Amino acid sequence: MARMKKWMDLLLPVLSVFLLLTLWILLHVRKPDIMPAPLDVLQKLWEITLHPISKATLPIHILVSLGRVLGAFALASVLGVTFGVLLGWYETFHHIAWPVFEIIRPIPPIAWIPLIILWCGIGETSKVVIVFIGAIVPIVLNTVAGIRQVNPMLLKAARSMGANDMAIMREAVLPDSLPSIVAGMKTALSTGWMCVLAAEMVVARQGVGFLIIRGMDSGDSALILAGMVVIGVVSALITVALNYLEVRLCPWKVTQK
Amino acid sequence: MGNQAKVKVRNLTKKFGDLTVLDHVSFDIERGEFVCIVGPTGCGKTTFLNLLVKLLEPTEGNIFIDGEEADPKKHNLSFVFQEPSAFPWLTVEQNIRFGQETKKRPRQEIDQTTEYILEMLGLKDFRNKYPHELSASTEQRIVIGRSFAMKPDLLLMDEPYGQMDLKLRYYLEDEVIRLQQAAKSTVIFITHNIEEAVYLADRCLILSQKPTTVKEEVQINMPHPRNVASKEFIQLREYITEQIRWW
Repeated sequence: MARMKKWMDLLLPVLSVFLLLTLWILLHVRKPDIMPAPLDVLQKLWEITLHPISKATLPIHILVSLGRVLGAFALASVLGVTFGVLLGWYETFHHIAWPVFEIIRPIPPIAWIPLIILWCGIGETSKVVIVFIGAIVPIVLNTVAGIRQVNPMLLKAARSMGANDMAIMREAVLPDSLPSIVAGMKTALSTGWMCVLAAEMVVARQGVGFLIIRGMDSGDSALILAGMVVIGVVSALITVALNYLEVRLCPWKVTQK
Repeated sequence: MGNQAKVKVRNLTKKFGDLTVLDHVSFDIERGEFVCIVGPTGCGKTTFLNLLVKLLEPTEGNIFIDGEEADPKKHNLSFVFQEPSAFPWLTVEQNIRFGQETKKRPRQEIDQTTEYILEMLGLKDFRNKYPHELSASTEQRIVIGRSFAMKPDLLLMDEPYGQMDLKLRYYLEDEVIRLQQAAKSTVIFITHNIEEAVYLADRCLILSQKPTTVKEEVQINMPHPRNVASKEFIQLREYITEQIRWW
């Protein structure tokens, strides 16, 4: 029975991918001019890995996009956690800053693109700023939630053992909210990856988003799909990396699942 | 008073609005003494402990430890709460080190004390486990270990065994006596279980209904371990139960 389950666990994911490919091929057979075959896309991937488009091969395009995301993500993490701690811990600051945050928060990062381009031009800065806007929101929200849900018993315990305010923040409040903060960072990184593609599709000379737009402009549907496949694969790899990071950062939470 | 008492409580009063919870409570506790505080449900025992560690500010009155006003930053206090309060992100060993590290003890002393406590409480096999991987009663043992590891001047315990089964309770009662005698700690132990109080205490403070005052003090001079079936034990237990009755 256990053996059977093991086989099913292996078989079912393979089956679902197989189903997706079948659908893809069916589409290709019906509309070959606008839906390239999976093999054509693979071939295109291979081609752009070897031959540069806009002076960069595929790995460079990926690295350019990732660089923008990681730069903005690092900035959003530092500022977002700081802002979130202030919002979550200090009542007065919460009263002052929360309404403003609540008004700005629901505006999708993509809606900022025109304004950011007006302000920062079409260089690297504008892309980083757009990703930053997308990434900081989940980090702030999760940090605030984490801080507000700190178990009061643990604060009492730390205080009764003579910990001062700084030590309580460092030794009790932050560790207890860490799982929530890390969850926010996970969301932020996926959001950031989506934002960078949107920004690159509007204006860029390199990056995965640029590849898709180039495919559209030149009527090269294989290139569009190749770009989309890359987006999916990179996202999946980011998720794997983040899950690993979560295990390292919050070992007590992960074993609880 | 030639010999300074370890803890002096003077006119301790706490009001929440119109409600007087504690009304001019005064008593002394000697160094190394094990004092149990018993009283009817809702008589403000927990408020009293929270005042002692300055988690609450008194409306009136004062608490002195070694002649100075009580201050958890200055004095070496430790608290075992009713609810489990082990830090979930620290392993058993790290939890036991926590308070000692807050007090910036020398590394070697921390190592030694931690080993001793782990051994004493039978936690050696779990040293690298996280609290949630263990049972609730083991988690409470971690907290007790963490408190004793600090070698506190004053250890406050608020119904620490409230959620445990009888067998474990007996085991930990003996353990707490052993640790207390080895560390020569001064302990204030709050409980609603009178048998537990008579089993543990050198002295029992009986609190009244709200507004709470110390109704009576009962000295218990039996040697440890005490026989819960002995005549003297049963007499004391019945006497204290009678004093707590408010119906």
